[in-house]
Amino acid sequence: MKQPAHPLSATVLQTLVGAGVIVLALGLAAGAAFIPSSAGYAGVGPNFLPWLVAVALLLCGGFMVREARTGGFRDMEESAGDGRPYWPGFVWMSAGLLANAALITTIGFILSCALCFVLAARGLRNAEGQSAPGLKPWLNDAVTGLLIAAPVYWMFTQFLAINLPGLTQSGWL
Amino acid sequence: MEIWNQLLQGFMTAGTPVNLLWAFVGCALGTAVGVLPGIGPATAVAMLLPITAKVDATASMIFFAGIYYGAMYGGSTTSILLNTPGETASMVTAMEGNKMAKDGRAGAALATSAIGSFVAGTIATVLVTLFAPVVADFAVKLGPPEYFMLMLLAFTTVSAVLGQSAVRGLTALFVGLAAGLVGMDQITGQARYTGGVPELLDGIEIVLVAVGLFAVAEALHAVLFEGRVKESENRMSRVSMTREDWRRSIPAWLRGTAIGAPFGCIPAGGTEIPTFLSYAAEKKLAKGANLAEFGTRGAIEGVAGPEAANNATVTAALIPLLTLGIPVSNTTAILLGAFQNYGIQPGPQLFTSAANLVWALIASLYIGNVMLLVLNLPLVGLWVKLLKVPKPQLYAGILIFATVGAYGMRQSAFDLFLLYGIGVLGLIMRRFNFPTAPVVVGMILGPLAEAQLRNAISIGEGSAMVFVQRPMSLALIVVVLAVLVVPRVLKRRDVVDLS
Repeated sequence: MKQPAHPLSATVLQTLVGAGVIVLALGLAAGAAFIPSSAGYAGVGPNFLPWLVAVALLLCGGFMVREARTGGFRDMEESAGDGRPYWPGFVWMSAGLLANAALITTIGFILSCALCFVLAARGLRNAEGQSAPGLKPWLNDAVTGLLIAAPVYWMFTQFLAINLPGLTQSGWL
Repeated sequence: MEIWNQLLQGFMTAGTPVNLLWAFVGCALGTAVGVLPGIGPATAVAMLLPITAKVDATASMIFFAGIYYGAMYGGSTTSILLNTPGETASMVTAMEGNKMAKDGRAGAALATSAIGSFVAGTIATVLVTLFAPVVADFAVKLGPPEYFMLMLLAFTTVSAVLGQSAVRGLTALFVGLAAGLVGMDQITGQARYTGGVPELLDGIEIVLVAVGLFAVAEALHAVLFEGRVKESENRMSRVSMTREDWRRSIPAWLRGTAIGAPFGCIPAGGTEIPTFLSYAAEKKLAKGANLAEFGTRGAIEGVAGPEAANNATVTAALIPLLTLGIPVSNTTAILLGAFQNYGIQPGPQLFTSAANLVWALIASLYIGNVMLLVLNLPLVGLWVKLLKVPKPQLYAGILIFATVGAYGMRQSAFDLFLLYGIGVLGLIMRRFNFPTAPVVVGMILGPLAEAQLRNAISIGEGSAMVFVQRPMSLALIVVVLAVLVVPRVLKRRDVVDLS
């Protein structure tokens, strides 16, 4: 993927994070307004903590926006890895996770997880820049995914009697 | 004498073949997740929380405890052998451990960290055995105002004192508290923030938050930012220590334990401070040729001390968890969640109401430490092979386990979408340097703290003065304020001194 010529600056991103916290705070406050304050003897009712959290987050968000506008977040630690994000990989992995969520009840745990494995592994391979062309790596990943998902499924459904969705009712697939 | 009998009883429960097996599997799994990058004990326990629906309480707590301290052993293997910055807890070990490994002394570094972990873990377990019942006896006398203040202390230290920035720490804490608000209010039964979704009446599952924030966010971070990071591995050497290594390690282990254990006992969280303190102490005490090894060839004291401090802190942290019900780290917060799944509320009554479970758990700590010594000294070569798992398969595989944890808890595909959302949130938090522990601690401890607060004010007949009228509670307020103010004053003075 082409990197944009002017990547969003840290200031803008950090301001957005602060603004996001403010939006969350406002949402919580709006919700708190609908909670009745049946305090009884306690003096503080079920709406006390919601208001407290909303106000505190509003303050935190405000502080963060101010930090972002005046030289950036304080005391930031260098994160591991490359500074430049590799978005195609993120898309692959997101597709895997969302497909898993959408399909798990229809095609069963094993197939759905194997699919998630294949898509996520593809994204990670591309990110490392080492995916070979052709069908072979896909097949490899599919087999590995099945080899992990199937025993996990059996272990949980057969030994621990925890319900996971199957393609059939047999508990084996 | 009573303690002795109860401990013996505990050994009898923990020593049954089935429970021994759970302990062994827990230790082995813990070592594995400790060795593997990208997955830690908190994630592992969270992903396995669904088993609480079927496995009995004692067995699963033994199992989870095995994962909890097994991961501490495994983590040091990775930080010594792999040249990448690991988690904070093992960062100090990495400083000298890595240098030793480059110097061809990887084996000695691994040995001193495994044996040091054993020594510290065992001493700290003795402390847990002796002091936990005493603390529990004392804690029975505490009322809601004191409990609320203790929880406030835990919140303060985990968010505002540890970590880089107080603003980001507090934001994380309040996000966690907000997540804990979703669902039915414990006291009045009032629904809050459910938006009419019936799934949300029970609240947000801690599994979802923990697995999303740690496992999914970690995988997303890896695919976005870490593709080009090249890892290199140090060569293994024979795992043994020379007579000189022993002579230098033993005092360091004991000093590390002495520094680490008290930090675990107070609800102040984190292994960062005790490990760094231990490292600083070892460096200060070293002389001549030994001192010259620090930062150059790698000094064995610099591995032995912090590793012991780390393990002592982690083990001693079970005292506040079991006696007060106050978790101070990600993993202990999730362990508390596991107790709650059984309808057990850790606290002073635990030692009377669930004495069997508690003493079996404590006994299993002794057993687990021995198992881990065996797993990590002769068998260390086996674990090292885990470092060879390629990253794409590793992270993709972690996602499968994440699915089990998230789906297995409530059998709802809705949760898997939520999991993804929380994963993206975790990614943003990681990128902008927000700590995650306050979220998890806030979410688990928030509802409990709220209940204590409301009960406390009921006792005060609607007045908040109750917090300053009771001496213990007043003393705790002073401690909370001191914890907030003192580090800042010291920092400012340092800045002034430097300028």
